[in-house]
Amino acid sequence: MSVLRRQAPLDSGLLGLFEEAASNAERAAVLLREMLAGFPERSELARDVLLCEQEGDRITHDVMQRMSSNGTRPGIEAGDVHALAGAIDDIVDHAEEAADFLGLYGIEAPMEQAEELSEVLVGATGGVTRALDALRTGDDLASRLVAIHQLENEGDRVSRDAIAALFAGHIDPMVVIRWKDIFESLEEAVDACETAAHVIEGIDLKRRR
Amino acid sequence: MIRLAIVDSDSGFVRVLCKRLEAMSWDHRVLAAPPPVEELVAIRLNAMVVDPAVLGPHAWEFLERVGAALPAMGLVVCTGRSTVAQRVRGLRLGADDWITKPCHPEEVVARVEAVVRRRRRASTPADVGPLVAGELEIRADQFQAFVGSQSAELTRREFELLHLLAEGRGQVLQREEVYQRVWGYQMARGDRSVDVFVRKVRSKLKALSPEWNYIHTHFGIGYRFQPETSDGEPADVTAPGADVPGPVPDAAPADSRPADGEPGAVYEGAVHELGARLASSA
Repeated sequence: MSVLRRQAPLDSGLLGLFEEAASNAERAAVLLREMLAGFPERSELARDVLLCEQEGDRITHDVMQRMSSNGTRPGIEAGDVHALAGAIDDIVDHAEEAADFLGLYGIEAPMEQAEELSEVLVGATGGVTRALDALRTGDDLASRLVAIHQLENEGDRVSRDAIAALFAGHIDPMVVIRWKDIFESLEEAVDACETAAHVIEGIDLKRRR
Repeated sequence: MIRLAIVDSDSGFVRVLCKRLEAMSWDHRVLAAPPPVEELVAIRLNAMVVDPAVLGPHAWEFLERVGAALPAMGLVVCTGRSTVAQRVRGLRLGADDWITKPCHPEEVVARVEAVVRRRRRASTPADVGPLVAGELEIRADQFQAFVGSQSAELTRREFELLHLLAEGRGQVLQREEVYQRVWGYQMARGDRSVDVFVRKVRSKLKALSPEWNYIHTHFGIGYRFQPETSDGEPADVTAPGADVPGPVPDAAPADSRPADGEPGAVYEGAVHELGARLASSA
């Protein structure tokens, strides 16, 4: 005879903070995509991406505050709360890092692969928002997680192709150094979306047991 | 700053020479084997120090091809013992100077400087006449383009791009070729620098000469310079001659090099820094 365990309901306020964080990450990705598409004329958008990064930090702080002060059970293990908040925060941090590098390194013009990666990032952050929505409503989560994994694979492919392009022939070594950093930041942002997807999947599995 | 390539496999000589070049902040590269002449054209060298022993049996042909393809570049041969016949042949084929090893690096540096100085005297920008295209006058002596007496306020790199396209006189230049000639390196696949700089140049020209189109896009290929009125009426690109006095600009830049903080300045500083790093690891 199986022992049925009653799961505590998900803390709606906590889930709301995660949704807010994911929406903020999606906004940062959209801004970065706009910035790259219109670079260097739209380089001022780096400031808006930085504001997203600060907003992300604020939301993460609120999540931690809620965990430490809330008397009610969150319905999610503390470790998962910490991991999910960290992963979503990482998305924005890496996106902001890429935007910052564009100015810091005196980049003169974008590269097509960077624009492609930012497009992938917009898709993956949107996927995280939709996955959180499924976690709240109980809708089909698996297909949304698969979509994030596919985008992460696409990000890997574009990133490898971009780095290979930097090492083909006699490219200016300074271009190689600068763009390698930027591609890596963009890829890490996409990777963080997959990390968030893994944590959401783990939360869902634990709730179904 | 002088851009110098050293084609030599004598590690001791190269190390000592590079140390000296680093101290002088020269942008230099050490090449263990002779690169294709087309690549040398792209990296826009002021001078090259070469040991024919590294070039193998085709040394003379290489020197001849380099001399023909890069008439503005100084070519200094630095090698071991040689016969009078060899030295005469090398100098006649295109070498500007011949140094016999063992030699002091200071002497090599001084001879390179002398060769570059002679080259610069022989081709000062003032000798290059303006190109006239539609309302536009492109003046290499001022690294600037003008409409009447108004400057287009082009940066150095923007000017180099415009000048290169204008010299093509209606010929389509591929993005990769433009990048190689203006930036001095091979273009990375996906790099949009040429597109961005064409956009900047177009915008500056449009502000001064709104009735004319100068740079035309050939999708998937590159760009073509051809002055055309807004009705599509083409005009020639002419070079009236070096002696024709140009307009007196209102605010001709005293120094057309990019100012600190401009992308070009960052680039040049970075190239220098990297050159020093490359040399120290050679």
